[in-house]
Amino acid sequence: MAKRSLQCCGHYESIPDPRQGGLGRRDFLYRFGSGLGSIALSSLLAKDGLAADGSPLSSSDAHPLAPKVPHVEPKAKSVIFLFMAGAPSQMDTFDPKPELDKYHGKPVTRIYGSLEKRIYVGCPFEFARHGESGMEISELFPHLSTCADDLAVVRGLHTSAEAHTTATFFMNTGAFIPGSPSVGSWVTYGLGTENRDLPAFVVLPDAHEGVFGGSINWSNGYLPASYQGTLLNSVGTPIVDLQAPNGVTRAQQQRNLGLLSKLNQPFIDSHPRHNDLLTRMQNYEQAFRMQTSVPEALDLERETLRTRELYGLDDKITEPMGRRCLMARRLVERGVRFVQIYSMGWDSHRQIAREHRRRGYETDKPIAGLIKDLKERGLLDQTLIVWGGEFGRTADNSMIFFRTGAGRDHNKSAMVMWLAGGGIKGGTVVGETDELGIKAAENVYHTHDVHATILRQMGLDDMRLTYYHGGRFKRLTDLGGRVVKEIV
Amino acid sequence: MPKSSSIFCRQIGASRILWAAAIVVSSTAGSVRAEAPEQPAQTFELSPEVEAILKESCLDCHNPNKARSDLSVASVEDLLQGGEESGPAILPGDSGRSPLILYMRGDLQPRMPKGDDPLPEAKISLIARWIDGLKKASGPKKKLTWPWTKLVKPEVPGVKRTEWVRNPVDAFVLAKLEERGLEPAPPTSPRSLLRRLTFGLTGLPPSAELIEKFSGGQPVSSESIDQATADAIETLLADPGYGEHWGRIWLDLVRYSDTRGGAIDYSRPHMWRYRDYVIRAFNQDRPYDRFIREQIAGDSYRGVYGSEGKIALAYLAQWVQVERTEGPQVRRDFLTDVVSTTGSVFLGMTLGCAQCHDHKYDPIPQRDYYRMEAFFAPLTTTVASVPFTQYEMPLVKPEVWERHEKAWGDVLAERGKWQKEVKASYRKRLADRRYLDAPADLKDFTVAVSDADVKAAVREGLLFSKEEQEAYALIERQTARFANPNSPDYYQSKAYVANDSGLKDVVGTYVLSGGSFKLRGEAVEPGFFSAVTGHGDPVDMKGLSGTRRALLADWIASPDNPLTARVMINRIWQHLFGEGLVATPSDLGKNGSGTVHEDLLDWLAVEFIESGWSFKHVQRLILHSSVFRLAMQHPNQDACAEVDPENKYFWARDPVRLTGEQIRDSILFVSGELNRDMGRPPFFPVAADDLLRRARTWWAPSPREERSRRSVYMLQIRSFPMPFMQVFDGRNMDESCPQRNVTTVTPQVFALFNSQFAHEQSRLMAERITQEAGDDREVQIERAFELAFQRSPSPEDKISCLEFLGERRDDLSGASGIVTADASSEPESPARGSLADLCLVLLNTNEFIYLD
Repeated sequence: MAKRSLQCCGHYESIPDPRQGGLGRRDFLYRFGSGLGSIALSSLLAKDGLAADGSPLSSSDAHPLAPKVPHVEPKAKSVIFLFMAGAPSQMDTFDPKPELDKYHGKPVTRIYGSLEKRIYVGCPFEFARHGESGMEISELFPHLSTCADDLAVVRGLHTSAEAHTTATFFMNTGAFIPGSPSVGSWVTYGLGTENRDLPAFVVLPDAHEGVFGGSINWSNGYLPASYQGTLLNSVGTPIVDLQAPNGVTRAQQQRNLGLLSKLNQPFIDSHPRHNDLLTRMQNYEQAFRMQTSVPEALDLERETLRTRELYGLDDKITEPMGRRCLMARRLVERGVRFVQIYSMGWDSHRQIAREHRRRGYETDKPIAGLIKDLKERGLLDQTLIVWGGEFGRTADNSMIFFRTGAGRDHNKSAMVMWLAGGGIKGGTVVGETDELGIKAAENVYHTHDVHATILRQMGLDDMRLTYYHGGRFKRLTDLGGRVVKEIV
Repeated sequence: MPKSSSIFCRQIGASRILWAAAIVVSSTAGSVRAEAPEQPAQTFELSPEVEAILKESCLDCHNPNKARSDLSVASVEDLLQGGEESGPAILPGDSGRSPLILYMRGDLQPRMPKGDDPLPEAKISLIARWIDGLKKASGPKKKLTWPWTKLVKPEVPGVKRTEWVRNPVDAFVLAKLEERGLEPAPPTSPRSLLRRLTFGLTGLPPSAELIEKFSGGQPVSSESIDQATADAIETLLADPGYGEHWGRIWLDLVRYSDTRGGAIDYSRPHMWRYRDYVIRAFNQDRPYDRFIREQIAGDSYRGVYGSEGKIALAYLAQWVQVERTEGPQVRRDFLTDVVSTTGSVFLGMTLGCAQCHDHKYDPIPQRDYYRMEAFFAPLTTTVASVPFTQYEMPLVKPEVWERHEKAWGDVLAERGKWQKEVKASYRKRLADRRYLDAPADLKDFTVAVSDADVKAAVREGLLFSKEEQEAYALIERQTARFANPNSPDYYQSKAYVANDSGLKDVVGTYVLSGGSFKLRGEAVEPGFFSAVTGHGDPVDMKGLSGTRRALLADWIASPDNPLTARVMINRIWQHLFGEGLVATPSDLGKNGSGTVHEDLLDWLAVEFIESGWSFKHVQRLILHSSVFRLAMQHPNQDACAEVDPENKYFWARDPVRLTGEQIRDSILFVSGELNRDMGRPPFFPVAADDLLRRARTWWAPSPREERSRRSVYMLQIRSFPMPFMQVFDGRNMDESCPQRNVTTVTPQVFALFNSQFAHEQSRLMAERITQEAGDDREVQIERAFELAFQRSPSPEDKISCLEFLGERRDDLSGASGIVTADASSEPESPARGSLADLCLVLLNTNEFIYLD
């Protein structure tokens, strides 16, 4: 810990400093959009000795989303982050606590801040061993259990926030106060994208309910707007204003673009020092292409019946999550860098037996389908899947809730997440919680460490992936995270 | 210091040194009271002998371009940064533990130079002695550097080309240009000058009258341009749009928002009064020193500032409040926010950095951070009744106010009534059903139906249709606790004011290790920056009748404060030129960009203070200068770029992209829709329901006329930035925004080319043009260009547009032969574009959204 705190604000990324001359501060600020990529890239190259002279790349590569060379050998090309919002319980999913069952219904004798009477809640679900690894998974996930040997479960995990909004934001950005970039923004900032006809960082929200805190969770924060997450609706129009209003034909748009190009040209010609003006025109063409590429990427009708069934599209209850999972596969297949899927409703303060079972049913088949499908297509190795909520849950419940149907409350001291694909060692279980699952006890990792692991699998070093803002170089993991080495 | 061949490392080196210093200090800080100002980074130099040895034996493998193990030995900074395995290669003053020496002696493996003979011990010990001597070399305290130095008015320099100099601003710039043998670019076109003036002062395109004064952009004599410029500057400074534009700039800085932020994002329904206060202050050219006092401590001057001094205090209440598990952390969030923001907004220093440790670049010890915080220690903010004043009246006429107040009340009442009816009917239906279902002997007991029961039943859907379920969901969103801007309180005469809990039971302030409230260190008293005062003693609070904050406000607003005026001058320059003289406007410190124009900045800063802190005075000076008129094109562009590639010395102008707000306002302006009503609670923009739903918020858009007001009056909801603003690099509402980014991203196309807003406004613009210019295509095109670009179309433009509208090319010479087709009424027509399409295209051009 002492060592880590010393690293605060120390920055190791050698991005040429815009304020120091070199590339030119004015030029830098002006070309912020088009030039940043080249700056970050050239520094990465210089670092790896690939561009010995450290010179910025030519402007044709200078798009902020142009693919960039990673810090280290990447294991994965894309991330699919399955965010179980509301926070699933660790002891009811991937962290069996048989000891807890013995205490079921007994009052808690530990002293809490309040005098509220609390009762221990045993796990209402059966656990069984699965796969060659014999991983213990609860009955909530019968389909996922067949993929046990692909999963790496991190049990000794904890986080820093215990209220949904703050914790959701913390899980997404590694920070408490809004205004920081999310993981997806960091990853696209570090790596760019391989398909510029699709957004690089996509968010697929729950069909029923908004995410706690809304857009702050996929915000680019202080990073340039190019790294903003794009919300894609899984039903209806995928992106706001992707298409022109009703009645405007594609021919009409094309003609408009033609005129725009003609009228812009003299202005572009007379300002040769400023290539943003040209970039703008290219963006119009790209946007025009996106009008077809985005709907195509999201068109699930193109999938076979078998695939659709694999994701549970034939069942009304699994269909919403299935759609998002299948869309995620189609997106990463097309080079999208980061896809985040939200499943809301895991917050089970009461009736956890009923509520978790429902959430399990809604998500189990689609997620298992995603893993299997990616595997069949040979994409699992290059796609990192992350599953988890914003924190864990308690071993006990308030007396009142307990009587009306036991549930579990918020707990930041113990939680569980799993990772799969993208170079992750399947069939691994890391860390332990104490015997009742209240606190991470053995081999303890923090959510910052999960962030560091995600970045590392993508070929990025969390200490070197920095951005200068507010007087210092900032990073996703703040003081730095530890890669969960047992699973990589 | 030998110039480092690597441009990367200066900073890193400096930070490492400071780390070393910080470790030393922190081990003793507990007991020793820091005295005189802490010194910033010390700089070390390679001695020539050491440099020669390293060059001969190490540099081949360890240079900035080819840094084995990530280590370069090209400069001290590189050595201090070190490599990836062993960290810093040298530890100043400690050769015995410096990896450089350990590797050379073979104590660390592989011995260096790798694969070569070991260095002779004489050479190694020479390097070791140099490392050991580094501590001593730090020497006496360094002198304070700009901008910490005392502010004095510099001599206006002499120049050769005196005819170019309109006022001292030009003399400073030209002197620097001449030093470098650079010629300033010729003056820009009258049209471009006019656009710079109107956007720079009001954030809007030029009005028809101003265009007329500038002879419609036609070339005219330089005298008449001077006269027109002078007139335009005065007209624009007096335009109410001036306060709206410069107010917007200030609101960016103080992280203005109508909601509380975080995910809870409760409404702050009275914040708009502060927004109006800011706009009013700029329009009245309120002296900056007073503006500062009002916002930091307006309640502390025995009522001198009246209601204005109360409304202004909302500056202190803008923090983002997030849920925290630990209560004390909420207080920390509040104090950290207000101290850091005050440091960066008024003093141009990244004060927040010193919260956890001594500032690494600027002379701000950690202790100074907490001494600054101590001024705010008793501060809490609260909502209080502050009657509307005569000052607020010029903004809003009483009848307008009443009309809107009533309209909002009606909207809420009607909505409430509908909600009540729906809920009652649902409840009744459920109760009836239960009554029917219940066994006879229990019928009397089963009719009580709770809200939760209704909710469950609606969700189940057996008794309720899909439409009814949707209505219920809508009610739930309308009455949501979180992120709900539909406050009934907008029109109440309340404001956010400060409430110091009285000096009797003042909360203690402690230096907190690492900024953690759990790690209390030394107790501190309020005090100013020790680098400015020269000591770390507490401020004298004897006989203080106001708040502690008043002492701080007086100190910041003092002409003797070296930072305040410099910071503001730089911001003024920034918003007239697109970039400040110092490119990092909230960081004038060592780690900021610095500037080659310190003298110019200082001269303007003194001028600012001497004019009674008048914004408009300084702006006049700058706007009347020749620098402001520089064209973007230079006859010897390449030669100039060779000497000064970054255009630091102003040999030409750089283009400026308009902000999202300016683009939106400009569109409304040219379509003729812009509603110039000022003040009042925010209007609610149109937002796709889909998006609102996902953001867990809901509102109904205000009526169209209301929505056509300037963007500064648009609802600013932290958890839901409007997509149009967001894609054009809208500010992050959660923190002070000193400068908008400029990025060029594809979603901007969706906003400007595809959105309902853009299409609707283009249609309105086309209607306006038809009304004003009649049916003649050529006249229409003329008018469209005049509106959008304040110029006539070039012959090529005209041909392109006529072709686009489906006019035959060979008819162009004579207007008589033109067959005018009413294309605007048939937008589906594949054969030709409509006038509305043409307008849409114009709104999307570079020329429309850039200032040249």
